[in-house]
Amino acid sequence: MNGAAAQGGSEKLVEAEDLRRRYGEGEAAVDALAGVTVAFPAGRFAAIMGPSGSGKSTLMHILAGLDRPTSGTVRIGGVELTELADRELTQLRRDRIGFIFQTFNLLPVLNGEENILLPLSIAGRKPDREWFDRLIDTVGIRDRLSHRPAELSGGQQQRVAVARALITRPTVVFADEPSGNLDSKASNDVLELLRHAVDDFGQTVVMVTHDAHAASFADRLLVLADGRIVHDGESLSSEHALDLMKSVG
Amino acid sequence: MLSLVLRGFMQRKLRVLLTGIAIALGVALMAGTYILTDTINKSFAGIFNVANRGHDVVITPRQSLGRNTRSKTSPVTDQILAQVRATPGVAEAAGSIFTPGSFLDVHGKRLTVGGAPAFIGSEVPKRFESFTVAHGRFATNANEVAIDEATANRNNLKLGEKMVVAGSAPARDYTIVGILRFGGGQSFGGAGAAILTLPEAQRVLALPGHFDQIDVAAESNPAHPVSASVLRERIRAVLPATVDVRTGVQQAAKDTSDLESNLSFIRTFLLVFAYVALVVGAFIIFNTFSITVAQRTREFGLLRTLGGSRRQIMQSVVYEGLLLGVGGAVLGLLGGLVLAPALNALFKAFGADLPHNGTVLETRTIVVSLLVGIVVTLLAGLPPALRATRVPPLAAMREGVEIPPRPLPSRRALIARTVGLLLVCVLLGLAAGGGVVLVLLLLAWAWWLGKTLLRVRRGGGPPHYRLVPALAQVIGVLVTWRGVTGQLARENSIRQPGRTLITAGALTVGLALVAFVAVLADGTKATINRAVSRSFAGDLIIENSQEGNREQGIPALLAPTVRQVSGVASVTPVAFTVGRLPGSSSNATITAIDPATFERVYRVEWKQGSNATLLGLGNEGVVLTKGYAESKHLKLGQTISMLTPAEKHVSLTVRGIASDNARLLGNLTITLALARASFGQRDDALDFVSYAPGATNAQVQPAVNRLLAAAFPQARSRTAAQFKQDQANQINTLLALIYVLLALSVIVSLFGIVNTLILSIYERTRELGMMRAIGTSRRQVRQMIRYESVITALIGGVFGLVIGVVGAVLVTSLTLSGSGYVQSIPVGTLAILLVVAAVAGLLAAQLPARRAARLDMLQALMSE
Ligand SMILES: Nc1ncnc2c1ncn2[C@@H]1O[C@H](COP(=O)(O)OP(=O)(O)O)[C@@H](O)[C@H]1O
Ligand SMILES: [Mg+2]
Repeated sequence: MNGAAAQGGSEKLVEAEDLRRRYGEGEAAVDALAGVTVAFPAGRFAAIMGPSGSGKSTLMHILAGLDRPTSGTVRIGGVELTELADRELTQLRRDRIGFIFQTFNLLPVLNGEENILLPLSIAGRKPDREWFDRLIDTVGIRDRLSHRPAELSGGQQQRVAVARALITRPTVVFADEPSGNLDSKASNDVLELLRHAVDDFGQTVVMVTHDAHAASFADRLLVLADGRIVHDGESLSSEHALDLMKSVG
Repeated sequence: MLSLVLRGFMQRKLRVLLTGIAIALGVALMAGTYILTDTINKSFAGIFNVANRGHDVVITPRQSLGRNTRSKTSPVTDQILAQVRATPGVAEAAGSIFTPGSFLDVHGKRLTVGGAPAFIGSEVPKRFESFTVAHGRFATNANEVAIDEATANRNNLKLGEKMVVAGSAPARDYTIVGILRFGGGQSFGGAGAAILTLPEAQRVLALPGHFDQIDVAAESNPAHPVSASVLRERIRAVLPATVDVRTGVQQAAKDTSDLESNLSFIRTFLLVFAYVALVVGAFIIFNTFSITVAQRTREFGLLRTLGGSRRQIMQSVVYEGLLLGVGGAVLGLLGGLVLAPALNALFKAFGADLPHNGTVLETRTIVVSLLVGIVVTLLAGLPPALRATRVPPLAAMREGVEIPPRPLPSRRALIARTVGLLLVCVLLGLAAGGGVVLVLLLLAWAWWLGKTLLRVRRGGGPPHYRLVPALAQVIGVLVTWRGVTGQLARENSIRQPGRTLITAGALTVGLALVAFVAVLADGTKATINRAVSRSFAGDLIIENSQEGNREQGIPALLAPTVRQVSGVASVTPVAFTVGRLPGSSSNATITAIDPATFERVYRVEWKQGSNATLLGLGNEGVVLTKGYAESKHLKLGQTISMLTPAEKHVSLTVRGIASDNARLLGNLTITLALARASFGQRDDALDFVSYAPGATNAQVQPAVNRLLAAAFPQARSRTAAQFKQDQANQINTLLALIYVLLALSVIVSLFGIVNTLILSIYERTRELGMMRAIGTSRRQVRQMIRYESVITALIGGVFGLVIGVVGAVLVTSLTLSGSGYVQSIPVGTLAILLVVAAVAGLLAAQLPARRAARLDMLQALMSE
């Protein structure tokens, strides 16, 4: 299946065109991204795989407005990111993007509930109580809301992080190795949560992973090698993903 | 190891610099103090050397009662001059005058500033003269004056213009005929000199036939030369014991050493602030080292796994302290060179303009500054260094390994330490003169004991682990309404209560002292106000208008003159002098009053006796204040002997005992007549005026003022309200000076806050990265850091205020109970202090907040 088929007729929410990102200069220059054109339609779950150093994180950072490309453009919901000033970018991240990190990155001084509501607090917005209730039931941490991260297991922390990513109903959620630091049980829970968010809430999710099993939860699988997309198709199974990885690895 | 330390320094330049400055500021104040005071002392030595140049022998009034207690009626007279001249070997002898008075312009404005003295002098023969003529000439008649160049320049006075010289006689004006330059060309500070003819100088001081000094030159006949010391012996043999005879060299040495001891309080005063700043610096070093040791736990663990000994770990930290101490101390010493002139300017701004020629950097200054800076840094860095040795090798392997707490001491060790510390506290306290210091040390000891016992009993953290969070919660309310940044700031500030407490503690030290002094000053003002209201029954007080120089009195002639003003019912003069009991080493303060009129203007609180007692005092009666009578075990009717400044012994019988909260009455109260006759007292200190019935202040005070302006321009009249205000102003001036000097400690503590914030931000790099990623704006990041800083500063402020206020109340109630001290808490000032603390916190946060906001988000996210 080719890329055009995977995109279907849906609205293209996140679009990148000919992204290049170069680190360093002269002899020592590294092209982390060497011309990436990609689009992520709404309501789908995409996984980006590739060997270490292939540019996965770099791509995600640029798509999410955390970093700027050396050249090329990124649009989210029609907004051209590369033209935004830092303040506008910050606001865009706050309102339209959700993040899930490999190392959870919860604030140790806040309890579960406060951590989930943090993006809203930063924006100075009132939480939608109904949405909040639904979220915490979905991620299953109602009884852990008053606990601080230090009192939560890794899986529980990541579930709080998922709820935090979804609380603002962002246009797109970016997840960088969300299951990388979890055991297989917790890892499955979190990936199922993401799947659930796509299926039931219509959430758009872009996930970076090097774990073929994790990739199998996605609808679509992109493979990156040396800063280029070398495969873009439907995500079928972990075996399929593993084979793909072997072919580029 | 040292190269490792150096490399570490290079990687943490900013922190090293901030910590270095923390210690350098204290050292700078110390070095600056020594440099300034050495310079002043050396300048005076230079002045006295010039002043005594060409003097083989010098004759001055004797001062058995110590410095500054010469009889106001000089025993050096015409008759003594004649005796000196008749002594074989004397080539020339001349009497001269050199006494503080007042210079004014023809409009009544003073020509000297602040408390700087204005000397009225007389010309002396060429070989004794230390002034040279810059323009014009010396005075040749009673209408002329020659003045020093600095005074002339400062007031833009030219030859031919007029100025007023006021002494003990009614003031008059003189034509300026000469501008003089002091022999050595040294600066005189703010002091001035006006040289009149000898008879006129004697007339102005109302002492015809008397001199302040006789200068003697020895015969220089080569056939039979007379040495200065031989001549001194000869003259000594013929003169009475009321005068001192010294060689010129001896006299210069004595003048210098007198002055040094007179000014030694300046050094002590400034050094106190230097030590305070050093203590604050020590807090910061301790805190910074503690934080970095915690942050380097992994590194130390690694060193231990690789076979590094505890000793080596400790050394690496101690070396860092040593290097920092050396750097900070050297920086401080250099800072002292800059600070010395600044301190001088500060004193000048507060009215004390002392001569300072050049910059004197003694070896002692260098040694002491470096030593103190290094030792303080090393001591402060020692506990963290010891802590670092407890890092287990395991720390290298695992994330988040805590340094195990110090093992609990054994029961025996605990008892030994408790007793040992108690002994040290008591000995230190007693060595420091007991009293307040002892109480404070014992409180510190009790605190330590309580803390240790709590730890032994429960094994838990020290009490501040609960106190700081509680306080932060309360203070945090101030900022939490600002939303999540405020809330996070509050939470972050209590993450490490110990760290926050010490960071805040550095500020606490400075603010506690400010609060302490503020409360004390407020209480003193209130005490004076109440005492004046209670005790003073008159309408006007006349005093010398020179600020900051209590020595300056008013002419005795003033009282009878003011008595003539219509509407004035009575004027009662008061004078202050001293005396000494046989066998005593300190002077008793003595107030001399006019018994006939005193009771009309002053309410004495009699313990034994009554106002009638005053009338019966005569030349052998005395009233004692209660405290003095008790301390000397003196009872009514007992007779005491007093040595007077005029070198006489008088017998006094105790006729009454009074308490006096207004502190007008000295240890002893005698009649003015006796003071004049036997104590050599000439000028008065104050005149109390009371109006005739029906006379109003609006009529009488202007009339009194007109008289003063015409005849005694050095004096001014004050109503009780004005007098209270003057006293308050004086206290405020001193207070302002203390505040300025304490500000340095507060600044030092700001560096501590900056340091802690930077280190904490470093620890939280990842969190900050995440927050930025999920949409926290740079502004919000800055805000969060600022709030955290403000909370920390306010914790320091609250502790400071509480400690300062409680301390001041405790100390005053312990030491001043029964003295009529009025407690008064300056709520407004304290509120301002809190605001200052908050603003200080805000200031300290500027750099860290900007750094945090500028953090590279991606790097932060990926950092470990
Ligand atoms: N800040 C950086 N500076 C220099 N090179 C970088 C930086 N970040 C990433 N790179 C390089 O860019 C390439 C892609 O990195 P990254 O996007 O992190 O890959 P992945 O996430 O797929 O492992 C790698 O070769 C990496 O070394
Ligand atoms: Mg990566």
